[in-house]
Amino acid sequence: MTLRTWGRFGLIALVAVFVQVGILNQIAVGGAHADVFLLLAISAGLVAGPQRGAEMAFALGLVADVLVQTPYGLSSLCYVLVAFAVGVATGAMNRRPTLGFQVAAALLGGVGGTLLFAGLGTLIGQPSVPRHQLVIIVAVVAAGCVLLANLACRLLEWAVAVAPGAHHDAGIFASGSAR
Amino acid sequence: MAASRRNTSQRLTLVILVLVSITLVTITYRGGARHVISSVRNGAGDALAPVQRGVAAVLHPIGNLFAGMAGYGGALGENQRLQVEVGQLRRQLIEAQQAQEQLDQLLSEQNLPFADGIPEVLGQMISSPSSNFDLTVEIDRGTSNGVGVGMPVVSGAGLVGSVVSAGQHTAVVQLLTDPRSLVGVRFGNGIVAVAQGQGEGDPLQLQYVPETSVTYPGAPVVTSGLDVAAYPSGIPVGTVASVRHTGGSLTSQVLVTPLVNLSILQYVAVLQWLPPA
Repeated sequence: MTLRTWGRFGLIALVAVFVQVGILNQIAVGGAHADVFLLLAISAGLVAGPQRGAEMAFALGLVADVLVQTPYGLSSLCYVLVAFAVGVATGAMNRRPTLGFQVAAALLGGVGGTLLFAGLGTLIGQPSVPRHQLVIIVAVVAAGCVLLANLACRLLEWAVAVAPGAHHDAGIFASGSAR
Repeated sequence: MAASRRNTSQRLTLVILVLVSITLVTITYRGGARHVISSVRNGAGDALAPVQRGVAAVLHPIGNLFAGMAGYGGALGENQRLQVEVGQLRRQLIEAQQAQEQLDQLLSEQNLPFADGIPEVLGQMISSPSSNFDLTVEIDRGTSNGVGVGMPVVSGAGLVGSVVSAGQHTAVVQLLTDPRSLVGVRFGNGIVAVAQGQGEGDPLQLQYVPETSVTYPGAPVVTSGLDVAAYPSGIPVGTVASVRHTGGSLTSQVLVTPLVNLSILQYVAVLQWLPPA
């Protein structure tokens, strides 16, 4: 990935900080709010593939963990795994991800990422969240990911300078799609 | 061949990133990097505070409008309930005034510890919890205003939580309902216990309540202030919501409804009090 890509990606991460802290944190549904960093991690897997997506997700996790009081590195760990899994699934399709696939990936990534965060948190000694509350959190985060999936993918396509709809790390697109 | 090399590279990247993440988590728990991470977080909080304040000022009225529209029916019922409660409170006020007079006499003679007289710093909540998994809020007061880590935070109704992190201009408050929150409390006939948060909107659970203890729903619960407790004594925490005696157990299950409505909290006071070392 070039310096320009990381620069654009950094800009997106910075905007995500303001969006999360300034807007999404203020809009709580049942006490839970959307997670723009998880959304971007999922989109990174969709757009940039498993390897580059995991790297971008790791960076997003480092930024996200600055804003919260949970152990530093926990978000990175979750986002890396989610982005990698999404990237592998996208690569296995062997064609550019459709809107439907983006939405499905956002839904499954939102659900899986949130459950993974809760599970890993409990594993390292964080108090577990009551089940009914976890359901609400999963639902709200997944809904947020689904609603904003396409926009996030377009933003990351701009960042990694990939032609819209193409897959950055898939073999059949690798030689011709990057600008 | 190229595909195989690419797969190996991808897996290697994944393993490295996972190991680095686990290392960061371990350092957070065990190493000296906790202070550095805390400083970075406080700095980020200070930097983002103006944005949070501005957006909160815009979104609060809009949020209140939607909340009002959605809760109109409930508001009518609550109004009637509150009117009944006001009548009861007026009666209790008279009784409390008499008790206060007696207590003043007792205090002047025995010099008992009490929550009054502790200097406080008034602040406003500028951000809801940033994570869905920790119940913390950010206030617009920090170390430059005399706020320090470990200080209790209260509102007009009672205990809100405690300061867990303090930057120069902002501080993070862990709410009473956070599962990591443990508060030493006293209720009933001098029964002491520990109140633990159970999550957003859920009552607190009292631990170590003897099976033989006698209490009732509605009984007031206050901080105990015993030994090296994290809070001074006498701060209202909540009221007993339910008591369940499980046969064969040595302890009862007691749930406490916090007095403070943490979901609509806006203004708080940080008590400039720290637990004795």
